[in-house]
Amino acid sequence: MSTQLLIAALVAGSVYALIALGLNLIYGTMRLLNVAHGEVVMIGAYVAYWALSLLSVGPLVSALAAMPLAAALGAIIYFGLFRKAMQSSEFMERIEGNSLLVFFGVSIILQNATSLLFTPNQRGYRYQDEIVHVIGAVVPVNKLIVLAIAAAVCIAAVLFFRLSTLGLAIKALIQQREAAALVGIPLTRIELTSLCLGFAIAGLAGVLVSMTEEISPFMGFPLTVTAFVVVILGGLGNVLGSLIGGLLLGVLETFGVALTAPSYRSIMIYSVFIAVLLLRPQGLLGAQRART
Amino acid sequence: MTKQLTTIAMALGLAAIGFGGAQAADPVRIGFSLPITGIFAPAAPSQQKAYELWRDQVNAKGGLDVAGTKRPVEFVSYDDQSDPGQAAKIYEKLIAQDKVDLLLGPWGTPHHFAVAGVLERFKFPMVGDTAASVQLRDLKPGYIWFPTSALPDEQGKQLPLLLKSLNVKTVAITTAQHPFALENKKFIVEGLKANGIDIVSNADYPLDIRDMTALISSMKQANPDAELSLSMTGDSVLYTRQSMELGFKPRVQFVLVGPAATFFTGIFGDKANGLLTMGHWSPSQKKWPKAKAFFDAYVAKYKEPPDYLDSALSFEACEITEQAVAKAGLDHEKLRQVISTDTFDTIDGPVKFNGVVNATTPTMFLQYQNGVFEIVWPKSEATASVITK
Repeated sequence: MSTQLLIAALVAGSVYALIALGLNLIYGTMRLLNVAHGEVVMIGAYVAYWALSLLSVGPLVSALAAMPLAAALGAIIYFGLFRKAMQSSEFMERIEGNSLLVFFGVSIILQNATSLLFTPNQRGYRYQDEIVHVIGAVVPVNKLIVLAIAAAVCIAAVLFFRLSTLGLAIKALIQQREAAALVGIPLTRIELTSLCLGFAIAGLAGVLVSMTEEISPFMGFPLTVTAFVVVILGGLGNVLGSLIGGLLLGVLETFGVALTAPSYRSIMIYSVFIAVLLLRPQGLLGAQRART
Repeated sequence: MTKQLTTIAMALGLAAIGFGGAQAADPVRIGFSLPITGIFAPAAPSQQKAYELWRDQVNAKGGLDVAGTKRPVEFVSYDDQSDPGQAAKIYEKLIAQDKVDLLLGPWGTPHHFAVAGVLERFKFPMVGDTAASVQLRDLKPGYIWFPTSALPDEQGKQLPLLLKSLNVKTVAITTAQHPFALENKKFIVEGLKANGIDIVSNADYPLDIRDMTALISSMKQANPDAELSLSMTGDSVLYTRQSMELGFKPRVQFVLVGPAATFFTGIFGDKANGLLTMGHWSPSQKKWPKAKAFFDAYVAKYKEPPDYLDSALSFEACEITEQAVAKAGLDHEKLRQVISTDTFDTIDGPVKFNGVVNATTPTMFLQYQNGVFEIVWPKSEATASVITK
């Protein structure tokens, strides 16, 4: 029973972590509040769905297409919507609010364009849904695959930000934007890379979500909200924090519901969310950020 | 002079022919709104496809018979963005500005309620379709009618009888926090108690639930004879998927809303065999010759089966409107009279209204059996007998 719940919590948590990771990366480097993040997840999910139903290509392979596609969308948005705007000091003064509005528009456009293109029908496919027994719990294989991939990407992300030059450069940008520019870190390139990376991770998350859930053009918004909760829990701009925040939310949701009742799910999540905002606004892992 | 007169006469004659011709070809404009965008958008296609199938069939026959004259059908439709308030405004615009000849229903109970007031104000009759709530009975009779027979109070009486006939002694209930599901729960719980069936587990969950492991695990431990999942569309898939994964297999499984939708059986295929659900239409019903013809035409046009609730009800509303217009023409008062009093021959059998609700079609239940939903309850209407695990 409890292994069953633990696995459910880990699967949910690792997917939340993955989605929040991309969101946090974009916020951290550019201060953009991407409320269209869930729609990027949705696009990844559609890539997996169509790849399987039209081309008989499994989600593990189509993920390799979904990620660059999502990254390309990120690049289009960067060059089309933000590059010029970010040179205006007026836009930059209120970048969080402004980007939220822009991305809100992007989110509505993506939802409705997908709906017009593919119909608003809910869709789903069955993939690796045979059951295996894991220490007393019954789990479909697809959930184990989701868990394995999401965990691997999260760990890879942590290592990337610790060890690679690019990762360190991104981290430097997150921590001290002006100082990073002074020591010769190319801001534009790093910003673009982070945005594309964040989008690519969201695209991958979409492929994973589609393996275990049904999809629709409107699936993104609840995921965006969840990702924001995770980011606030872990700390805005703190990459490791969003991983821990994701897992925490998965555990809170699954065990909380088991101990109380499903109707308390939202109450529990948002109580913790508000408590963190009040008591530790920098997030559970976030250090007080020096505003520059 | 004679020549001039002839010319004038010919010109007048031509004009008369021309005018007459234009009048005969004048389309009948039918208005409606559907949620093309917004949260209910996934529900719209099954209704829209039924409307369009009907329109194409009528136009292929030479047009809509308006008290003896055939006129082509043209749709005037808008996106209500899933907002009932928007739907009310659109229907007002359809009547007052677009001056449509007829109306068809929007999607869902709240939208029908929103539109009912507009119809009343403009004294414009409309046969509704995709709405079901006991509150429909409280609507002032007059300009709106509902062909559904899946009303929660009747389902609350019939479902326990079906369970009793299957020798069910204990049930577990899970209910989505949605007005329709909760309304059903209220009446079903009353019915279960009246029939001496024990409720061993009873839990509500929010519509945005993403994981039911805890809920299903605890039901599995209670080991009921039957599980009643009073779900809406999205969560019905989650429930069905996770109860399969967790090996929760009660002898009888009822899922309220969801299974009748096209995508549901598309996802589960034969694994959905044996699932019971609400609904009162099936192509297998030999008593209604139009049922199978509708199913076949829908599959031929769209390469997928219709939604057993929404598509069937929407097509039925079109049929009732069509038959009423053939008799009464487009005069609203005459139409209202005919719709209120006549019996109509539809894909769902004969339909006659009493006030706003369908007085002839009994409340039924469907079961998925090898690719088709069969009517399994009541026995007088059954197209197949119930299978249990």
